[in-house]
Amino acid sequence: MRQRPSPTVKSRPSAEAQQQLFAYALVLPVVLLLVGLVGYPLFYAVYVSFTNMVVGGGGDWIGLANYRYLAGSPVFTSAIWNTVVLVVVSDVFKLAIGLGLALLVNERIPARGLFRSLLMLPWAMPAFVAFLTWRVLYQPIGGGINLVLTSTGLYPGIVDWLGQRSTAMPAVIVASVWRGFPFWFVSILAGLQSIPAELYDAARVDGANAWQRFRAVTWPGIRRIVIITTLLSSIWTANSFESVWLLTQGGPSDATMVFPVLAYFGMQTQRIGEAAAVSVAMLPALLILVFMTTSLMQGDGNEQD
Amino acid sequence: MVTRGSWTRRGFLHGAVGTVALGMKGLSGAFAAPYVLQKGSKLTFWGGLIFSDKANKLLQEAVKTWGDQNGITTEVVMINQNETVQKVSAAIASNTMPDALDMSLDLLMVLSKQGVFLLLDDVYDSIGKAHGGWFAPVAAATDTSKVAGGRTGIPFGVSGNLLLRRTDLLKSAGFENPPATWQELVQQAAVVTKPPVFGLGLAFSNVGDGNVQISALQSFGGRIADDTGTKATIKSNETREYLRWVKDAWDKKVFPPGNTTWDGAGDNQAYLAGQTAFIANTGSVGIAAKTQDPELYKDTAYSSLPAGPKGVISPIQPQVRAVFKSSKNPEAAKALIEHLAQPAFMNAYFDAAIYGPVLQDQSKFRGFTQDSILSGLLDLVQKGTAPGYPDVYNAAYADMWNNFVVPKMIQRIVIDNWDFERAMDEAQAQTQAIYDKYK
Repeated sequence: MRQRPSPTVKSRPSAEAQQQLFAYALVLPVVLLLVGLVGYPLFYAVYVSFTNMVVGGGGDWIGLANYRYLAGSPVFTSAIWNTVVLVVVSDVFKLAIGLGLALLVNERIPARGLFRSLLMLPWAMPAFVAFLTWRVLYQPIGGGINLVLTSTGLYPGIVDWLGQRSTAMPAVIVASVWRGFPFWFVSILAGLQSIPAELYDAARVDGANAWQRFRAVTWPGIRRIVIITTLLSSIWTANSFESVWLLTQGGPSDATMVFPVLAYFGMQTQRIGEAAAVSVAMLPALLILVFMTTSLMQGDGNEQD
Repeated sequence: MVTRGSWTRRGFLHGAVGTVALGMKGLSGAFAAPYVLQKGSKLTFWGGLIFSDKANKLLQEAVKTWGDQNGITTEVVMINQNETVQKVSAAIASNTMPDALDMSLDLLMVLSKQGVFLLLDDVYDSIGKAHGGWFAPVAAATDTSKVAGGRTGIPFGVSGNLLLRRTDLLKSAGFENPPATWQELVQQAAVVTKPPVFGLGLAFSNVGDGNVQISALQSFGGRIADDTGTKATIKSNETREYLRWVKDAWDKKVFPPGNTTWDGAGDNQAYLAGQTAFIANTGSVGIAAKTQDPELYKDTAYSSLPAGPKGVISPIQPQVRAVFKSSKNPEAAKALIEHLAQPAFMNAYFDAAIYGPVLQDQSKFRGFTQDSILSGLLDLVQKGTAPGYPDVYNAAYADMWNNFVVPKMIQRIVIDNWDFERAMDEAQAQTQAIYDKYK
């Protein structure tokens, strides 16, 4: 008997594969959006940094010429150092102030809600208003800080807070800390409130003093939040333009020159390739911070799962 | 069909018979070039937003009225002059350029080299012929023939720095006349310095006002680069002399504290607050004083920048209008630019905008004959020097200007206490690196 050939069986994707395809289809719009809004501009900026593009022109490929020019420029070295100083010192002070205030306001004190709201004000204020206000406070003649020093007899002379190398960067850091600490405060406060009260009770029963309770209960409870806040704050501070621009424009004598201001100067000269190179030069450091932040946040999510 | 609307706004004609006469002359003679305007077409114009609301409104109204009269739908977008570079870059990248726009000379030069503008020689000639001709320094400064093969920008105003002085303080100290030299300036400033009032409100910071020091350096004979505009020559005996003048003035403590980090309004604020006797300014301070502090306005006199051993270096900074090649309505754009040069509008505009004149006939305007600030600006246009002079004004020079090489050289001396040689070496190296980019 002649056997009929078996009909060709079309292989159909398994249910699991179908599910995967469906999942990919669901995330596709987001991926396209990210490629369009983040990926393309990012890679375009990297490409432009290797060209001699000026305003209105296409730009030719010039390899590393923009980077060589920057590397040979003393202001670029100043910008690297100043950006690191601004980020590190600001973060240390923001952590200290944010943590201290969060611990204080986490206690049962009168008008706790009011304090919490007031402490958020610097963060809520538009950056340019905040930094222009600080500029007025720092004015050598008629500025608020010098008026206080003079009227209290602490220092009778005129201090040029923004015009001296020794005080310019500290002045920028103070303003930056004032503007940025509320984010730390509210983040740490949220972490504190998620620590079960029973843990503190148990520590007290075990005879732990305040410092021991902080080390054994509080810090483990907020450690991850502090790290993520540090990373986010570092990224924002490193990218912050208005703090330096509105206070010193990078001066005096490049004492406060940072990457965003340097990139702005590049833009002012209409050399887009060069301005892009400044921005791209700080990208590796920022990318490390971004990856650390996202992996930590990812870890957080997994732990919660 | 050419449609020319006569100027009818009463405000512009108020009390100015002479202006009307000039306006009529302008109306009759300004329309040599026939423009074919299409009714119902659209035109987008980016006007330069300046500190004077009145001037901004005048410009917007003038464009709108012209559009209404000619059946053209106009859209006027006022662009902050500090953001023109960014906005234009974005517009070019996204191919959304306006038909016409206002801008500074250095941006015009860069973009003309890219070939993005229409040649406007016909408009330039027509306007010049109708209004008594262009001032020679303006004509020379805005000539883009070498980079674009013709004129791409139509000048409409000139700014530049005047020396403002407090006559009340100086007269009581025995100084009746403005300082003729930079040394005299420091001498007068030192006498009237009594903190919290300081004599000399010159900026040494990373802003445009700080670049007044380039003019001072050049008037001492210092140069940024050689005559070919390619080799940096900042380090020289003349620059050393200039730095000696700066250090001497600094040691006399005639500068208000904070001048090394002043923003663009730093000298304005110091003068308006009565903290300084002299500033170099475009005249905007005088206008602010007119409304905010009439007493100070009355006590303010204007003169040209002081001279150095090589004379007075007082560069003019022309503002220009241009038409993009991509314009879908180039005839209308050209007609609008020519229309905006008419005396009736420009007379009112100059009163509010604090620009110097660009056309000979404009020197007869009410403001330039009666107002002390505008008279100073007329003087600047007549006696001022071309941008960059005696240096070659090219892209490298503009780059050096925007990187504040000279103010930073001063900062090295007064902030970091570097000696002159070290400061000059750094400035020389920086400038050469900048010029090398353009070889």
